[in-house]
Amino acid sequence: MNWELIGDILLATVPLLVIFPSMFALTTWVERKALARIQNRIGPNKVGVPLTPYGGNLSLFGLGQPAADGIKMLFKENIVPTGADRLFHLLAPILSLIPAMLVLCFLPLEFPWLNGEQNSVKAFMLDGAVIFFFAITGLNTLAVFMAGWASRNKYSLLGGMRAIAQMVSYEIPLVLSAVVVVMIVGSLNAAEIAEAQAGWNWYVFQPWGLAAFVIFFIAALAETNRSPFDLPEAESEIIAGYFTEYSGFKFALFFLGEYIAMFAISGLAVTLFLGAGGGPGVEALPWLKVIWFLAKVCILIGVMIWLRGTLPRLRVDQLMGFAWKFLLPLSILNIFIAGFAWHAKKANEGTAVSVIVWVAALIILYAAAKGLDHVNRAKVKPRTYQYGE
Amino acid sequence: MNEVTAFWILAAISVIGALVAVRKRNLVHGVFALLVFFAGLAGLFLLLLAEFIAVVQILVYAGAVGILILFAIMLTDRVTGKDAFRVTSRGSFWGAIIALAVFLVILLPTIREIPLIENATPKDMIVEQSSVKELGTKLIEPYIVTIEVLALLLTAALIGAVTAAQGGRASEKGENTE
Amino acid sequence: MTLALHHYLILAAVLFCIGLLGAFSRRNAVVVLFSVEIMLNAANLNFIAFWRFGTNPELLHGPLFTLFTIAVAAAEVAVGLALVIAVYRHFRSVDLESLDTLKEE
Repeated sequence: MNWELIGDILLATVPLLVIFPSMFALTTWVERKALARIQNRIGPNKVGVPLTPYGGNLSLFGLGQPAADGIKMLFKENIVPTGADRLFHLLAPILSLIPAMLVLCFLPLEFPWLNGEQNSVKAFMLDGAVIFFFAITGLNTLAVFMAGWASRNKYSLLGGMRAIAQMVSYEIPLVLSAVVVVMIVGSLNAAEIAEAQAGWNWYVFQPWGLAAFVIFFIAALAETNRSPFDLPEAESEIIAGYFTEYSGFKFALFFLGEYIAMFAISGLAVTLFLGAGGGPGVEALPWLKVIWFLAKVCILIGVMIWLRGTLPRLRVDQLMGFAWKFLLPLSILNIFIAGFAWHAKKANEGTAVSVIVWVAALIILYAAAKGLDHVNRAKVKPRTYQYGE
Repeated sequence: MNEVTAFWILAAISVIGALVAVRKRNLVHGVFALLVFFAGLAGLFLLLLAEFIAVVQILVYAGAVGILILFAIMLTDRVTGKDAFRVTSRGSFWGAIIALAVFLVILLPTIREIPLIENATPKDMIVEQSSVKELGTKLIEPYIVTIEVLALLLTAALIGAVTAAQGGRASEKGENTE
Repeated sequence: MTLALHHYLILAAVLFCIGLLGAFSRRNAVVVLFSVEIMLNAANLNFIAFWRFGTNPELLHGPLFTLFTIAVAAAEVAVGLALVIAVYRHFRSVDLESLDTLKEE
């Protein structure tokens, strides 16, 4: 038994299993609070630390809410509908959590205790980390379908089919916008991509990087079923979509899986476009890298919550049209622009040239986006109301 | 756990997955068994140090092909009701005989050559060297024509699939209006 | 016991024949399609095994060929399933034995 290896593996994996679920617990509280503020409510503010059994709580702005929610979920009855496929009904929530947890290990989180020379855990810095990430997040779709199909409920199945169609469609712009960075760095290795952006050389500051980041973020929202793309769980149309028939801890697993997937995909966005662990002071204090990485992930999550409180839900045809008619052509164009920009930069070193390329690329991308929008809108007939005025 | 144990576990997973996939009467169960088979095979590829092929296997088969098949099943059979998924099989006796015969025919040369190949040990791979990068260079340098032809094939398949799947729609619409 | 080439070859043969059995004995077009996929995958396993145990693995012939096979198989599945859907629209069935309109009565 190689105890040293086992110790190293634990040092590399346990932080992931501690940090992200605890971030999940905090995020649920932050989300409820933020949405409440956006909707001019107060949100959870009672649950805190119970000091005495007879009241007199330390409320702490309702920070005890996640724990209370967790306890509630644990003690709820586990209901399996009659006629449901029991095995698949059980497997689906587990299968939705596993890929989300698994992809966390491909993120280039440089924990300070893993930088030792003799440390043997370099396996996570896989050569094909980015493609591994996409392959494994793709499995999430299957869990969603499994849940929808096994529940033996029309709304569940509708939600599952919606989820599959949406995830498959948005996976293409997601991967194509990540391809740009992979192409420029010349590596699929997440650590190398992070290294290439050291010293404020973040790809989001490039015109193609900015466009790719925006496309990536939108596609990531759709991929994790976040509002405004939360059609698979649109409660006004299909109850709760694929997890209509789930209760208790199975539902909690779905919930956890969804949030972990959000963290994972935000982590990938940070790796690809926002300079991974880069930030002020990392040269002097390398352990700041983890802090910066997680801070950037939190900012992206914050934007997701903000969007959820702001934007209304899309219609199904709008959703598919947006992926195929707008994001896909734009991300393909973006690949070409990134190639041209890279060659122009390689051919001549001057600052003037790079500024011209920067501006030209941005103008082309903006014009393309406007043009696509115009073409797509031209096909939409003006809306006629049957009953309204 | 050494390599041999891993091999036997993965082999068992893929054989059972494949058997269930072809024998299960419930089609959706069959598809998930097929996915288990693909996953087992990806594990075997990892065991053979072909990590890129393993990940492509997961990406293409478990990700894309599995979902495509599920979509097709949802579009072709009645979606609700377990009985609608039952498919009858016929000729499994002769099928089994032929499959067994083919198996023996394939097996014979392998068994005959065992003394020759059992000493063939895998060469030590240089793990530090990026095999993904190597593969990419190979795809550009000697195999560029193959890649282009493949791209053409995939485009043709895409267009063909869309036309084939959409072709019936016009006539169906006609049927409905009549 | 160590792993040798013939372990992989025999496993691939078993998987291939399971696929063959499925293709012969099932009547549902979708099942036949994924039996074909099982056979193709068994062949892929052979490619990778021969590459790993072969004389010069640095040429990467095995993975390259497998990559091409996977791409072709993906195209095949896409077209095959589109045909299944088209056939279903026409005959209201994906039972292969009911598609015998070319047969002489």
